[in-house]
Amino acid sequence: MGKLMNAKQYEESLRKLNLKVYQFGRRVTNVVDDQIIRPSMNAVAATYECAHKPEYEDLMTTTSHITGKKINRFTHIHQSAEDLVKKSKMGRLLGSLTACCFQRCVGMDAMNALSITTYAIDQKYGTEYYKRFLKYLEYVQENDLTCDGAMTDPKGDRGLGPKKQFDPDLFMHVVEELPDGIVVSGAKAHQTGAVNSHEIIVMPTITMREEDADYAVSFALPADAEGITYIMGRQSCDTRKLEGMTFDRGNMFYGGHEALVVFEKVFVPWERVFMYREYDFSTMLVENFAAYHRQSYACKVGVGDVLIGAAQTVAEYNGAEKASHVKDKIIEMNHLNETLFCGCIACAAEGHREPSGTYQNDLLLANVHKQNITRFPYEIARLAQDIAGGLVVTCPSEADLKSSEVGRYVEKYFRTKADVPTEHRMRILRLIENITMGTAAVGYLTESMHGAGSPQAQRIMIARLVNMKAKQKVAKELCGILKSDNLA
Amino acid sequence: MKAGLKYCGGCRPDYDRTAAVKDIVKELGEGFELTGADDEESDLIIVVTGCKTACVDTSKLPDKPVRFISSLEDAQRFKEDMKNFLSKER
Repeated sequence: MGKLMNAKQYEESLRKLNLKVYQFGRRVTNVVDDQIIRPSMNAVAATYECAHKPEYEDLMTTTSHITGKKINRFTHIHQSAEDLVKKSKMGRLLGSLTACCFQRCVGMDAMNALSITTYAIDQKYGTEYYKRFLKYLEYVQENDLTCDGAMTDPKGDRGLGPKKQFDPDLFMHVVEELPDGIVVSGAKAHQTGAVNSHEIIVMPTITMREEDADYAVSFALPADAEGITYIMGRQSCDTRKLEGMTFDRGNMFYGGHEALVVFEKVFVPWERVFMYREYDFSTMLVENFAAYHRQSYACKVGVGDVLIGAAQTVAEYNGAEKASHVKDKIIEMNHLNETLFCGCIACAAEGHREPSGTYQNDLLLANVHKQNITRFPYEIARLAQDIAGGLVVTCPSEADLKSSEVGRYVEKYFRTKADVPTEHRMRILRLIENITMGTAAVGYLTESMHGAGSPQAQRIMIARLVNMKAKQKVAKELCGILKSDNLA
Repeated sequence: MKAGLKYCGGCRPDYDRTAAVKDIVKELGEGFELTGADDEESDLIIVVTGCKTACVDTSKLPDKPVRFISSLEDAQRFKEDMKNFLSKER
C-alpha cells in the first residue's frame, strides 16, 4: 500500500505548506484553522477519511496501474470503463455525505487528461512528457496528494486571443526559458479547493494557435512555490462562519471555496513541465479535461440527495407531507436527480480506451450530462424552496431563538407541531438556505452552471459530436426521399 | 463461525448497510464473529451491497464461500440460515 492518508494526516500535511493566502484584504497566516476556510478543508478531509472506512473503500480506493499499490481513487488513472463508473459513484457518494463541493475531482481530471495528451505529444514529437508525467503521478500517488487542476485563465477581452490582449498576463504564459526550466506569469481564476491542495497542475484554457505558442504550457508546482499568491473568493453568507458554531451556517461541518491564483514570474523545473509550446495539442488537453470534469458533476447528484432529504423533512415538520402537490414536487426532485445520475453513469459506462491506455468517457454523453447539470439543480432548488415556504428567507437567527427576551416568541410562533422542536425546523430551513442561496449554492448552482465550461461550451460540443448525417439518412429513407437496401 | 466482511462503496444504498450488519452481529450473538474481508482464517465472506447492482470488486477476496446481502430481506435470510447452522454446530 502507498501512503493512504486519513483526515488527520491530511490536515497535518496542509500545516506544513507555506501558502500566501489573502482574504478580506489581509494575509491569512493560519489557513487550516481559518474559520471561513476550514469547512472546505473538512470536505477534502472527507475524501481521505472515507478511504479508510470499510463501507466506502470499494469506491474510494483502487489499485495503481503503475505501482500495483492500493491508492485513493482521486489519484488514479482510469484503466477501464468500470473505473469511470466508480468515479461517478464516488462523486455521488461524497456529495451525499458533505452536501458541498469536496474539491478533489479537478486534480484527478487534470492528471487523466495529461496522461492522454502527454502520450500523444510524445508520439508526434519524440518528447518525453509522458515519462515525466508518470514520474509525477507516482509522486502524487505515493504521497496521496490533493492537486488543484488549474485551467481557467482570466481571459481579458473575450473577443481577442491570448496574444492580442492588452495585458499579456491575462492568459498564463512563458516569460523566460532557462537551462533548468521555464518562468511563467499569469493567473488562474475560480480555482476550487486551491488552498486545500498540495499541488497545482496548470493547463491551457483554450485552443492555442501558432502565434499563441508561449501560452501553450502545462506544468505542475507545489502549491506553495515561490511567486504564487491566492486571493479567496467571497461567498454569500460567508461571514456567518465567523459567528461561531451557530446553526445559522446551515451546514455545520462542510463547505467549498474558490480562489484567484496569481503566478508572478514563477520558476518551473523541466521535470514538471508537461507541455511547452506544442500549441497543436492544446485542444486535446482542454477537451479531454473538459470531458472528465463534465462527468465529475456526478457530485451534484449527491448534494441533490441531501436537498431532497431536507425538503421531505421540512414538509413533514410543516405537516404538509401528505398534500398531493408536495408529494408530486418531491417525486419531481427525485426524477430530476436520478436523471442526472443516468447521465454520469452512461458517459462512463460508454467509456473507451485511448492510445495511452487511459479510459475516457463518451464525449457526447459527458457533455449532455453537464448540460443537464446546468439546469436541473436550479429546478430542484426551486422546488425545495417552494416546499420549505417563505420562512427559509425570513427566519430569525439562532441568537434570537436563544434570546432571554424574544426567544419565547420565536419558539412559540415558529412551532408547527408539539413533537417538532422549533430549533429542528429552523435548522433544516437553514440547510435548505445554505444549499440553495448560501455558501453551498456557489457549488450546487453557479458552479453547476459555469464549472467545467459554461452551458454554451457543451452545446458547441453536442453539435460537433452528434452524428447528424446518420439521423438524416434514416429519416430520408423512411419517407422515401432516399432508397435503402435495408428496408422492405 | 468467522465471517469476513466486504462492503460495496455505498453510492445510493436502498437500506442502511452498516445498521444491517450491526443487527446481524447482535442477533447471531456468540458463535458468530466478523473479521476483515482479507482474513484467510474466515469460514465465509459476506458481501454487503447497497443495491442489487452489486458493483463491488470481489476479485481480490480470499477463496472462500461468498454470501451476497443486497437487501434487508437478504440480511434476514442470512440470519436465519446462520441460526440454523449455528444451532446444529452446538
